[in-house]
Amino acid sequence: MTEFTLPLFLGLLGFGGFIGLLGSALGVGGGIFMVPFLVLVLKLPMHQAVAASLVAIVATSSAVAAVNVERGLANIRLGITLELTTAIGSIVGALAASRLPAGALQLLFALMLFPVSVLMFLKGRRPAAAPAVPAGPGTAFDGAFFDPAAAGHTPYRVRNMTPASFVSFFAGSLSGLLGIGGGIVQVPVMNLLCGVPMKAAAATSNFIIGVSAAASAYVYFRRGLVPLEITAVMVAGVLAGSFLGIYALYKARSEKLQLVFSVLTLLVGIKMLMKVLG
Amino acid sequence: MITEKDFGRLIQRTLLAGVFLSSLLMLAGFGFLAAGLPPGRALLKAGVLVLLVTPAARVAMLVYGYLRGGEHYFALASFMVLALLLISALV
Repeated sequence: MTEFTLPLFLGLLGFGGFIGLLGSALGVGGGIFMVPFLVLVLKLPMHQAVAASLVAIVATSSAVAAVNVERGLANIRLGITLELTTAIGSIVGALAASRLPAGALQLLFALMLFPVSVLMFLKGRRPAAAPAVPAGPGTAFDGAFFDPAAAGHTPYRVRNMTPASFVSFFAGSLSGLLGIGGGIVQVPVMNLLCGVPMKAAAATSNFIIGVSAAASAYVYFRRGLVPLEITAVMVAGVLAGSFLGIYALYKARSEKLQLVFSVLTLLVGIKMLMKVLG
Repeated sequence: MITEKDFGRLIQRTLLAGVFLSSLLMLAGFGFLAAGLPPGRALLKAGVLVLLVTPAARVAMLVYGYLRGGEHYFALASFMVLALLLISALV
């Protein structure tokens, strides 16, 4: 086990805070940075890193969702429907992970980071224009929210629920397998496939990843894979960062942030790959 | 009936209650650990467990809220998610 020192404590707390800020800004759980940090810096075994990351994702999701639901940003009807297939995927992914060796998981993780980096880069370069509300009958999933950046009420229609549910299954399995919330898949799916505006997509994704991470985390927890001290310190940092981020970043534009994270993800991916192959 | 606003508030309070209770338990756990007392790890474990149960509690509130609001499709979907969470805790 890693020796628990004051610098480690402060480092984990600070890193957790950064992840919390990231979670509230982008609607992702931050697992893509947490797992590499725990494996590369703290030399934690891969399965324990995944478990700790999942618990921290539940923390950021719960904190951020509490506020987003009240603001009406998270689309609960859409969220709970996508949670169905996401949760199934999470369980399948976590069960598969417990049968895979750590090296295979690390390789999968490293490979996954490259498309994620490209996705983030593209999203950052082309901020999606506000989609027009299409004509025709609405569905129960349609929503609306108040956008302070646009200073107006933004209604939207939700489409393509069936393909979105399938992709959610995939996002859920990534969560269980690799310790990421799957927000990195859910946000673009809701935005591009379902036509949900970016802010609502981020908030709804954040709502969903709490359930998908919890479903996977139960599997890891029962197997005694959650490193308690490290997880608890990271969770404390994540919660502080999340609450700070909710209020600091409500009005911020996230495009610039996406570009920075795209580069960061690429670097982390290369480092992970070098560790697996080296 | 339950209004959309009350429903949102119910979800919010459930999530915040879980987060704060879990934080308290973890904080107490660290206090005990720093003092070298035995219940430290047990409290940390309880804190993590409370945090992990929080999303399930939120889904349970969704079942309740949608049933009260007469939206049976969403009540059923929420119930199925809750059942899946239970399954994942048992496998």
